[in-house]
Amino acid sequence: MKLDTAGLENHVFLGANGEFDRGLPTAPSFELPSVTDFDGFQKDAVQMVKPAKGTTTLAFIFKEGVMVAADSRASMGGYISSQSVRKIIEINPYMLGTMAGGAADCQFWLRNLGMKCRLHELANKRRISIAGASKLLANILYSYRGMGLSVGTMVAGWDETGPGLYYVDSEGGRLKGTRFSVGSGSPYAYGVLDNGYRYDMSVEEAAELARRSIYHATFRDGASGGVVSVYHVGPNGWKKLSGDDVSELHYKYYPVVLSTVEQEMAEVSGTA
Amino acid sequence: MSIFEYNGSALVAMVGKNCFAIASDRRFGVQLQTIATDFQRIFKIHDKVFLGLSGLATDAQTLYQRLVFRHKLFQLREERDMKPETFASLVSAILYEKRFGPYFCQPVIAGLGDDNKPFICTMDSIGAKELAKDFVVAGTASESLYGACESMYKPDMEPDELFETISQALQASVDRDCLSGWGGHVYVVTPTEVRESTLKGRMD
Amino acid sequence: MSKSAVELPPKGGFSFDLCRRNAMLSTKGGVRPPSYRKTGTTIVGLVFKDGVILGADTRATEGPIVCDKNCEKIHYMAPNIYCCGAGTAADTEAVTDMVSSQLQLHRYATGRESRVVTALTLLKSHLFSYQGYVSAALVLGGVDITGPHLHTIYPHGSTDTLPFATMGSGSLAAMAIFESKYKEDLTREEGIQLVAEAICSGIFNDLGSGSNVDVCVITKGHKEYLRNYQLPNPRTYVSSRGYSFAKGQTEVLTTKIVPLKEKEEAAAEVGDAMEE
Repeated sequence: MKLDTAGLENHVFLGANGEFDRGLPTAPSFELPSVTDFDGFQKDAVQMVKPAKGTTTLAFIFKEGVMVAADSRASMGGYISSQSVRKIIEINPYMLGTMAGGAADCQFWLRNLGMKCRLHELANKRRISIAGASKLLANILYSYRGMGLSVGTMVAGWDETGPGLYYVDSEGGRLKGTRFSVGSGSPYAYGVLDNGYRYDMSVEEAAELARRSIYHATFRDGASGGVVSVYHVGPNGWKKLSGDDVSELHYKYYPVVLSTVEQEMAEVSGTA
Repeated sequence: MSIFEYNGSALVAMVGKNCFAIASDRRFGVQLQTIATDFQRIFKIHDKVFLGLSGLATDAQTLYQRLVFRHKLFQLREERDMKPETFASLVSAILYEKRFGPYFCQPVIAGLGDDNKPFICTMDSIGAKELAKDFVVAGTASESLYGACESMYKPDMEPDELFETISQALQASVDRDCLSGWGGHVYVVTPTEVRESTLKGRMD
Repeated sequence: MSKSAVELPPKGGFSFDLCRRNAMLSTKGGVRPPSYRKTGTTIVGLVFKDGVILGADTRATEGPIVCDKNCEKIHYMAPNIYCCGAGTAADTEAVTDMVSSQLQLHRYATGRESRVVTALTLLKSHLFSYQGYVSAALVLGGVDITGPHLHTIYPHGSTDTLPFATMGSGSLAAMAIFESKYKEDLTREEGIQLVAEAICSGIFNDLGSGSNVDVCVITKGHKEYLRNYQLPNPRTYVSSRGYSFAKGQTEVLTTKIVPLKEKEEAAAEVGDAMEE
């Protein structure tokens, strides 16, 4: 049975349905399907449009700011549907979001977040804090909780308080931290990241640590691969540092000698 | 998830002019986790018959041991090697015996028969033989392999060209499959020699 | 059952020792058991003036994939008997092979030509005893001492004796042709024509059937297997040159070349060594 929600609509905030909220975008609302078994329908629907899963993303705070890195593979089941996905989403010049879980969900809601952040900037004449931005996103995701969204994102950036890093997911969780990795390859990335992490790294060291962590994850995880993108966020905003093909990285980290000359391994014939 | 996707594999065999090639990927994984990247799923039965086993790795190894056992019994009794056609029938019979509780394996058999005539064949997990004149594929990357082989294959290739073609088809296909890749093994067998190569491939 | 130290080749029959493990894998492990290769098929047969004509398409499928574009679905049973198979490929293959060997042994024992009813009885009793789990749907045709015979056999073991028959996923398309055009005492040419037309109807109207037409004509004391009698679906899209790869284009880590010894030489060497 559908609840009568008329009493909950915005009658207190701005009084009459006036000019104020007409231009103010709220979170888009989706129509719910008119079925009796909503949970079952949702389950089936999610199975029908299987979200692209399988990713490695990471971000960490260090002395010089925040380092953000991700792979670039999109897969559907065992099939690799793309090797060139941008999983680091540029929300504004000072803020980045990462993408894990459903590609469409992440892209849509991070773009939506970008819009809200800009509106905040226009209304308040100052940039939104990373804490505030991540909370906006977490609140939206929480309002859709249990309805099939699949988002695992890190909001990273620089604000008046310095570097900021938050993990936000579609279950409604929001965590502040200095070191996160999200996606199917995250256990492997954490292994390298935790081992090599120091707060007082230089930007170069941090970039290399991020790159190596993603590379090792792509090596072990079947659903991660493609290109490692590394971004750094400092006081002057983010900058893309590198985009390296992991296959080239592999042969850089572990060089092999190509045997151009074929070794003839003639069997010794069994004559006495 | 299908049981064939538990370990992941890519297998392909092609016929050339008086020769054949059989190739596989090198990954051994458990679902999405890569355990090893030097895995062997192509086995030599004798100099001129090779067997590739895709599917569940535990069954592949068990099946391989049973097949070697039966081939050795044959060698002792007959004092000769098995013809590839005969070997294919043996594999088929062993698989069909377990019709209602099968080995989760899809074999690819390639060999040189009488007069060094190339023979290739694949089967499903209960031993339905598919003899082909051109190429056969198996494993999780089989759909991509069908596409690659269908466009790249030409009849009557010489060993060198056959090697390049099968390698390119294999690598193009595994680069679209999460569950296989991490390099490749290629065997090109002519009446006079066996050339065994490991390929440099993408490691993701 | 006593177990010997080594596992010797079995004497025959199915083995069920992996069933429990496989059931466990699919219930607890959450993995789906595989699908098997099917011949989602059009197979037909008809009786004409001098004997029997069988026909089949040549497509084998595994789920949505066409895994063999030119397979053989008309199986040999005896010199005067052939059998079209539809259903799980391994089952049709195995069941026809098995009965064909039983018939051969029977011919050795009796010295007489096999009869179609013998094949029919052997097939149906095997299929009946497996309650339909051996999923083979067959069209059996042949000419013996008692004349031409055509039968259909269903996976559960029931049989029909008919002047014209169709089976497989394209059976309705093929039967439409037979129902409208079949008449008694067709000539050989008319018969082949009708069979080919019925198969083509399956090839073009049924997604499970495709590629080429195989025909087998059996008359008294004579048979003719017309493999790929018609090729209505040739490959038109292939480039004449195809792809070519330069030698050394593929990056290779290691190469090992093992020369093969000639078998005759090896035998001679062993002989020499013995003498020494």
